[in-house]
Amino acid sequence: MRDSERRPWSIGDIGIRFLILGLAALLLMALQVTGRLEPIQSAATQLTSPAQVGATSVTNNVTDAVDFVFELRRLRQRNLELEQINSGLLVENFELREVERENQTLREMLDFAQTRPGLELRGAQIVARVIGRESNNFLDYIMLDLGQTHGIAVGMSVVTDQGLVGRISEVTESWSKVLLITDASSAVNAILQSSRLNGVVRGSPSGDLVMDYIPQGREFSIGEVVLTSGLGGRVPKGIPLGQVTEIRQRDIDVFQQAVVQPTVDFQRLELVMIVTNFDPLENVPDMLAPEVVPAGEPSPEEGALPSEEDAAADNAQREAP
Amino acid sequence: MNRGALYYVMIPLLLVAGLLQSTAATRIEIRGVKPDLVLLLIIAGTLVYGSRPGLVWAFIGGIALDSFSGGPMGASSLALMAATLAAGLGHRTLSRYNLLVPLGAAAIGTAIYGLTYLAILFVLDVFNIVQHRVPLVEMVQYVLAPAIAYNTILMLAAMPFLNRLPESQDI
Repeated sequence: MRDSERRPWSIGDIGIRFLILGLAALLLMALQVTGRLEPIQSAATQLTSPAQVGATSVTNNVTDAVDFVFELRRLRQRNLELEQINSGLLVENFELREVERENQTLREMLDFAQTRPGLELRGAQIVARVIGRESNNFLDYIMLDLGQTHGIAVGMSVVTDQGLVGRISEVTESWSKVLLITDASSAVNAILQSSRLNGVVRGSPSGDLVMDYIPQGREFSIGEVVLTSGLGGRVPKGIPLGQVTEIRQRDIDVFQQAVVQPTVDFQRLELVMIVTNFDPLENVPDMLAPEVVPAGEPSPEEGALPSEEDAAADNAQREAP
Repeated sequence: MNRGALYYVMIPLLLVAGLLQSTAATRIEIRGVKPDLVLLLIIAGTLVYGSRPGLVWAFIGGIALDSFSGGPMGASSLALMAATLAAGLGHRTLSRYNLLVPLGAAAIGTAIYGLTYLAILFVLDVFNIVQHRVPLVEMVQYVLAPAIAYNTILMLAAMPFLNRLPESQDI
């Protein structure tokens, strides 16, 4: 049929198409919420995982190459001879550098595991590879190449040697999704290392973390390290979360807040560890031992601190008009 | 019948863009905001071919996005379809060769896509179906506004390519 003979389409045509596709999208949403989409999602992911791994690998290589080019330019400006030798060696060892970097990460992770014997980590398959990242700007998730068949379950903590990354939010047979601590929905019970004040660390759209529910009248300082408190028993105790960069204190508020810079570099996440089991009573390593609390002051463990769920619910109420 | 090359390769392009969105796009983030490659592709397609095929691309592109997302399946499809309707409004009446049309479509499309997606998350959270906290003001300030600027600049960069595509017939 020639185009000129086509019936010009109307708003009704588009409306019907929008309605049908919209209903299909809602149906998919309902199927996912009820868990009936999981087999299809799992199968689809098994198909797309190799492509995702490949794309991630290519992206890493391209990024390395771009970084390398910039580095090359600077080196050329400083010393042409050294640059020529350097570029030859780097090209030759390009793949070896990748392996070396991975080895370094693994060594650091091994050291992390040895300093925290209370965490049961997944033996040889302790390390999961980040195969994908959240596709939109409004959520913060990553996808890992381990799933139910590797013993991964919803709620498990995900860490690197730098600190807490997040928690497993969704698992299929062969892959899992991790809700990062920077997501606005995330809430983790935390403690300030020096002042021993408890609070709840939430993610925020700005990319920083916000430690909330810090009692009024208690002093803490910028630069303090924030650790997981282990309260609630869902996340191991003593895992670094970040460092305080700003204190928000207003007399009219019930609690103080602290803006926390995460210790984990979320831009460069490649390998992570999944804590499959841990002893909730694990002692914090010596270097993280609590300081002496001044006499007469309440213990930081005292008082009813809101749970992570309560905090999330409370946050939702605060946001409501 | 001259539909142009883009029409026929649109679906494979969308799938590749969805894959790149979850892998490569994070490497070109600016202050934590990455470009919406799938959205831009659909807006470009809609400017050339109109809303009718655009809606189908939006649905497929949304599924590709949600496959690599922690968000609810179908939410991106609905948000992209809303953006497509907005981008396609001027398909017959405005010339896409006018600089302001693609830039406006990218800006308005991104805004509608973002607000629709956030609205879906908000509704699902309110009804306790899927829990995703949506701090709307912060999301708009730190995520949506920079994303509008980023996508608009990328659309400007894509203009020379877009202008080389032949004018489509109604499909």
